[in-house]
Amino acid sequence: MTSPDITGPTGRLDPQAGTFLEGLWASLPIVLGYVPIAFAFGVAARGIGLTLAEAVALSLILYSGGAQFVALALIGSGAPFLVSAFTLIAMGLRHLLYGPTLMRRAGPGASRRHAWAWAWGLTDEVFGTALGALARGRRFSEPFMFGLGLGAYLAWASGTAMGAYAGSGALAAWPAVETGLGFMLPALFLALLLSVLSRAQLPVIGIAAVATIAVTLAWSGTAGLLAGMIAGAVAGVLNRRGDGGAP
Amino acid sequence: MRLEILSLAVIVGACNWAFRYFPTRANLHELPPGSPVTRFLAATGPAAIGTLFVASALPLVKDLSGPAPLTLGAGVGAVLLVYAISRSVVIATLAGAIAYGGAFWLFATSS
Repeated sequence: MTSPDITGPTGRLDPQAGTFLEGLWASLPIVLGYVPIAFAFGVAARGIGLTLAEAVALSLILYSGGAQFVALALIGSGAPFLVSAFTLIAMGLRHLLYGPTLMRRAGPGASRRHAWAWAWGLTDEVFGTALGALARGRRFSEPFMFGLGLGAYLAWASGTAMGAYAGSGALAAWPAVETGLGFMLPALFLALLLSVLSRAQLPVIGIAAVATIAVTLAWSGTAGLLAGMIAGAVAGVLNRRGDGGAP
Repeated sequence: MRLEILSLAVIVGACNWAFRYFPTRANLHELPPGSPVTRFLAATGPAAIGTLFVASALPLVKDLSGPAPLTLGAGVGAVLLVYAISRSVVIATLAGAIAYGGAFWLFATSS
C-alpha cells in the first residue's frame, strides 16, 4: 500500500516509507497490550469513586499509563492538587528524550510538519515500536506515525471505557487469557529489544538493566525507569566503540 | 465531571504533550558524528527499550513460585524463537503472549 504524500528524496513514491495502514498494523501488539492494562485502569478508577466519564477523560487527556495509575492513588488518598500535578508532571520527564532520539534516527530529511499532532501519541511503546521499525530499515514517515499512534490511543481509551463500564471481575472467568494479555508488554519490549540489538549497544543495555533493577528495588518504579534510561545513555557516551555516528 | 479531575488531566496532559512534541523540533543533524551528544542520543533508544523491558518484566520475576518460571520461560522462549525465524516484532509479541497464557493454562489444568 502506498500513499501519495510519502515520497523519497527524488520526489517519487518511497516504498520504504511506512503508510498510515502499516502504522496501524505495527500498533497491533501495543493495542493487545494496552487494552487489558487500560481495562484494569478503568476498573480501578471506578473503584476509587470516579465516574465513567472521568475515567475516560483521564485516559483521553492525560494519556500516560503509569501516571494515570499514580493519579488514582493520589486522588484516592486526597493528596493536594499541586502535589498531584507536580508528581504526575515529573513522571513524564522521560519523554523529553524520545523526540530527539527518534528524529535523529529518522534522518535530516524527515518531515515534522505534523509532529504537533502525532507527537501526542509518543508513549514508551509507540517510541520503541517506531525506533524498532527504523532500525529494521523502514524510512520515517508521518502517516506511519499517525497510524501507530492512533491505534495505541484508541486502544487505551476504549480499554479504559470497557473497564470502567464492566467493573471488577470481567476477565475472572478467563484467567489464561488475562495472564497471556498481561505478558503482552514485556513480550513487545523484548521483541523490540531484539530488533535494535547490536554488539556495540550490549554494554548500554546491560547497564540500563542493572540501573533499572537497582533503583526500582531501592526507591520506586518511576525512578527506576528514569535511572535506567539515563545510565544506559551515559554508558553510550563513555563507550567509544558504540555506533554514535549512525543516524 | 468534577472540575478538579478535569483540571488535573488538562495540566498534566498539556505537559506530557509538551515533553513529547517540543524535543522533536530540535535540530540535531548537524552534530558531528562521534560527539558526546551524538553518542548519548544513539544510546538512548536501546537504553530506553532495555529499561522498559526490565521494568515491565520485573513484577513477573519478583515471585518465582508456582507456575511463574514455566510461564516466563515459555513466553520469553517463544519471543526469542519466533523473532529469530520471522524477524517480525508483531508475530513474536503475539507468540510470546500466547505461549505465556498457554503455559499458565497447561499448569492450571494439570495441577
